[in-house]
This record gives sequence, structure tokens and C-alpha cells, in this order.
Amino acid sequence: MNATVRQFRDFFVSLKLTVVLLVLSLVLIFAATLDQVNLGVWAVQEKYFRALFVLWRVGDFPVPVFPGGYLIGGLLLINLVSAHVYRFKLSWRKSGIFLTHAGLILLLVGELLTSLWQQEFQMRLAEGETKNFSESYRYNELAIIDTTDPKFDDVVAIPEELLAQKTEIQHPKLPFRVVPKIYYPNAVLSLRASAPGDAPDLATAGVGPKLVVTPAPFTYKQDERNWPAAFVELIGAEGSLGTWLVSTQLAASQTFDYAGHSFRLGLRFQRAYKPFSLTLLKVQHDIYPGTDIPKNFSSRIRLATPASRDDREVLIYMNNPLRYAGLTFYQYQMDSEHDTSVLQVVRNPSWLLPYISCALMALGLVVQFGIHLVGFAAKRRAASAAPAS
Amino acid sequence: MGVFAGRIDLQFATGKPDSLRFMRLRLAPLLLASLALLAACRDAKVASYRVPKEQPEPLPPILTGEVPAASGAGAAMASTAVPTAAGTGLTWTAPDHWKPKPASAMRKGSYAVPGTGGADADLSITAFPGDVGGELANINRWRGQLELPPLAEADLAAAVTRLDQNGLSFVVVDFANPQSAKSQRIVGALVPFDGATWFFKLMGPDALVAREKPVFLAFLQTVRPPAAALERASR
Repeated sequence: MNATVRQFRDFFVSLKLTVVLLVLSLVLIFAATLDQVNLGVWAVQEKYFRALFVLWRVGDFPVPVFPGGYLIGGLLLINLVSAHVYRFKLSWRKSGIFLTHAGLILLLVGELLTSLWQQEFQMRLAEGETKNFSESYRYNELAIIDTTDPKFDDVVAIPEELLAQKTEIQHPKLPFRVVPKIYYPNAVLSLRASAPGDAPDLATAGVGPKLVVTPAPFTYKQDERNWPAAFVELIGAEGSLGTWLVSTQLAASQTFDYAGHSFRLGLRFQRAYKPFSLTLLKVQHDIYPGTDIPKNFSSRIRLATPASRDDREVLIYMNNPLRYAGLTFYQYQMDSEHDTSVLQVVRNPSWLLPYISCALMALGLVVQFGIHLVGFAAKRRAASAAPAS
Repeated sequence: MGVFAGRIDLQFATGKPDSLRFMRLRLAPLLLASLALLAACRDAKVASYRVPKEQPEPLPPILTGEVPAASGAGAAMASTAVPTAAGTGLTWTAPDHWKPKPASAMRKGSYAVPGTGGADADLSITAFPGDVGGELANINRWRGQLELPPLAEADLAAAVTRLDQNGLSFVVVDFANPQSAKSQRIVGALVPFDGATWFFKLMGPDALVAREKPVFLAFLQTVRPPAAALERASR
């Protein structure tokens, strides 16, 4: 083994690295907790934990100032695994420690998978309404819908990231190119008639020319959402079809015809369609008698699949979600005055991992302390037995 | 018990340094590669699918012409407060012959520049948070107002003049479109300041704005950050 490899090994298996990483993660969590005041929970997670480095913007350039959660967690994982591989000696006396560490490794991996795989959506239903899709409350998409067929809509959904990156899109289902011109992560629309003056003038088609777009600061607050807007030009074989203003405030409501097809386009909350539909039958909001304190929110839902393989009623209430087709539907918000219920729809294929890892760690600690306790008790018994003989 | 109490070393842990070395050497790249693979799961991709016919979301009534724009009923969208750049602002001194107009919610400053025959030019000062789409987008926005074709990124450098004064970096443009019906000209400047972008725009009849350009440039020299910000920058 040459010196470089040995150095490399010694670095990754060293306990010093573990201590340094733990201290760094303490600092990271402390800083992130403080910054939550400015950014809110979600943005803090993205900036501090779901990143290799915490970046500060100096001028136009992001400068890494501190290792992020992925880097610290990843190094901890490598450190833990390689230390075990290097020092591995399977012995009964250490079984508890192995179990505990296996649990810890699983916890780290589980958090990584959750951050990568978990998807959160919402489904807002009014009483009597049926929906077969949920909507993201964080991500948006440009939907271009071919509505020519009387029975079906053919949807091409372009994530807003591509609009932000100004990526030109040529999709086989569309007879034109989509060229994003300007993208605002958050913007306010107002009528041109009521706000004459300085305003973007790019839009040439749809309702855009009637509107003024004013960029707004990006909000991180939990009870506010961003309303992105964009100018998008469509270019067919014979040239430009026009430039549309799209905004989540307008949804997918603007229509046009091209090449014998009818289209509808707009920016909307990203949708996830399901192979089944939910109908809200009844919302109920119970309060404790004589007070305004909520006791229970519940939504009676009818769950149906197209082929009637499943057609049943479900009651969703606090702490009693519906789990179906890999998704979990929680009772999230309720507006009983308007008979509207909002369900939170979560997909997390790795949701069991934290439970398994905690059980492993608990078992490991019990085993380890149990072994010590038994050994200690045996020694004491031997010691107390000795003088008698 | 005897078996478990003793040490059972795995083959690679003793006496086989070569396989041990490979284990460790492969470990880090393997983990990094799997990280990269997992991260790739969230790539933004264009999706296409077919769904049963849906009712389109209606346009706000004010846009379909069902409610006249002047009525308050449909103004819910328009009545949302317009966030302009907050915080400390730039200061300036306008020449005497520019007539101040009342500043609106959108404008930080507003002046009428008198011309002959009542054809005034309009000077507007606005500020919005962030870079508002960037230099090129904003310059092309102004070109659009003159019915001029947009500039390509490569032509941007030739079309702008950059001035550094009072600790601010101005991007100054001068565009005219004599072909358009109204024959208008814009002399304008963009200034990034304190996390926002400030716009100074003089727009009006071609001849008047061309005549007023030296005054506008002199006016830009009076634009300065508040004393506190200057002090901060010089420290």
C-alpha cells in the first residue's frame, strides 16, 4: 500500500473526522435554525441541508462558505461505513454497536432518499367535485394542451425550470417550438388600462397585451406563495405565432388555433394525474361544544377507479390518512364555510426507513447495555461468592 | 457460545491488504456515483400525457371584456399592491425645466419634459427588486415599446454605453424608430443598486428626446446613493 492510499484511508476511517463532522453539523443546524426567520422552513432545508455547500452570493457569483447537509451527511456516511469495513471484527460482544451503527447508516441513507424522492402535492376539492390529479404548491409548469379531440386532451407539460433557464423546447407532440423569453419567479399582474406607464410589452397574443407584469420579490413565507409569470414565444414552420404572457394567475385559460388544431396554454401548478379519482362527498368541521376550538376535521371521500375495480367511500380525518397506490392523503386544510377541503398528498417510497432505523438503533442499544449488564452482574455475583468459599 | 465469543475476522480484514485496498478505493467513488445517480432523479423533464376532456379554467371576467376595466368589480387582480423595490433609495436633482408629476405606486419619480406644441416627453424613474430579467431583456423591452426588433446578446455590448459615476454603474441606451408612426425615441439608463434595478427612462418624440439627451446625461450625474450607502461601500 503506498503512502497516498494510506493517507486517504486514514483520513476516512479516523474518529477525528467524525468529531469534526459532528461539530460542523451542529454549527450548520444552529445557523439554519436562525435563518429560518428569513427564509422559512422549506428554503432553509434547500439552502443548508439539501446542498453540498451553503452558498453566499458575492455579486453575481455563488461562493461556497460552509459545507452543506449533503456533504457533511455524505462524509459521515463514508466515514462510518469505511471505519466499519476497516475495523470490522464480528464479535458477539460488539453486536449491539453494530446494530446501532447500522441503524444510523440507514437513517442517513433514508434522509437522503426522502429528500430526493419525497413529493408533496395538494388536492383541493369542493363538495361534489371530482378530481383525478393533485397539484404542487411549490412547482409550476407551462401546460400546452391540444384540445382538438372531443374526448381527450393531449397535454405537454413543461417544468418552470426550463422556462427559467430559457431552454427552447421542440416536442414531437407540438407543431411549433416553444421559446421562453422572460421568466419572473414571482410577479403581479395588473390591467394596462389602470396602470399606464412603464411596462413590459413583449406579449403580442392572448390576453398579454391587456396586462402589465410587475416583478415581485420571491417570498419564502409559509403562508404565501409565489405567482410566477413568463413571456413565451411559439414559433411554427412559417415563423412566429406570437408571444404569450403566461402566469399562474391566469392558469391554462388562453386559447388559439394552429395547423388545424385547437390549443389551450398557460402556467399552472404542476399536476400529478392519478389512475383513480376522488370525489368530496361531505366536509365536517366539529368544534368542542360552546367554543370555537376545533375538535375534528373530516372529509368523506369517494374513491373510484375507471374500471370500477375500486369504488368505495373513505373517511379522512386528522391522524387517519388514506393510503392508496403508494400515496398518502392527509386532511390538510378545511374551509367549512365554502364546503372545501384540502388534502395533502405525499409520495415517499422511503417513509418506512426512519422507523426501521430507529428500531435498529434502539435494539442495538438494548443489546449492548444488556450484554454489559449481564457481564457486570455475573462479575458481582462471582465477587460476592468468592469470600464465602 | 464459544464460537461467538471468539473473533471471526472477515477474509478481507486480515492478511489480505490488496483486497482491503480495493474495497476502500472503490468505496468513495461508488458512493459519489450513487449520489449523482439519485440526484439525477429530479431532472426537469417535459412530460406529455392524455387525460379525459377537462373544462378549461375561466379567464378573469375583466379580461374577457364582460366587466369594463374602469369598474371596481373586476379589479381584484389589479388591486394587489405592486411591490416596488423597498429600502433606501437613490436621490437625484432634476433640471428646472422638467415639470414634476405626482409619483404613482409604480414610479419613484416622474417628470414631464416640455416640448413644442404640447408634445411632451415623459421621464419615469422606477425600481424593481432583483435584476428583473437582466440587461438584455429590459433593453429589449424598451425596444419593443418603440416597435424595434429585439437585440441579440452579441449585439448588446455595441448598443449600450456604460458609465461609472457616484459609485453606481449605469447602462445607458439611446434608441429611436423614425419608421414607426409616432417616431419616438428612448434614452434610458439601468442601474443596479442595493439588490434592486433602477430604471431612468426618457421617452417621447424623437427630436425632443434627442435634444434633451445631454440634459438627461447631466441629470444622471446627480443620481447618487444615500450618504449612508456610500459610506458603507467605501469602507
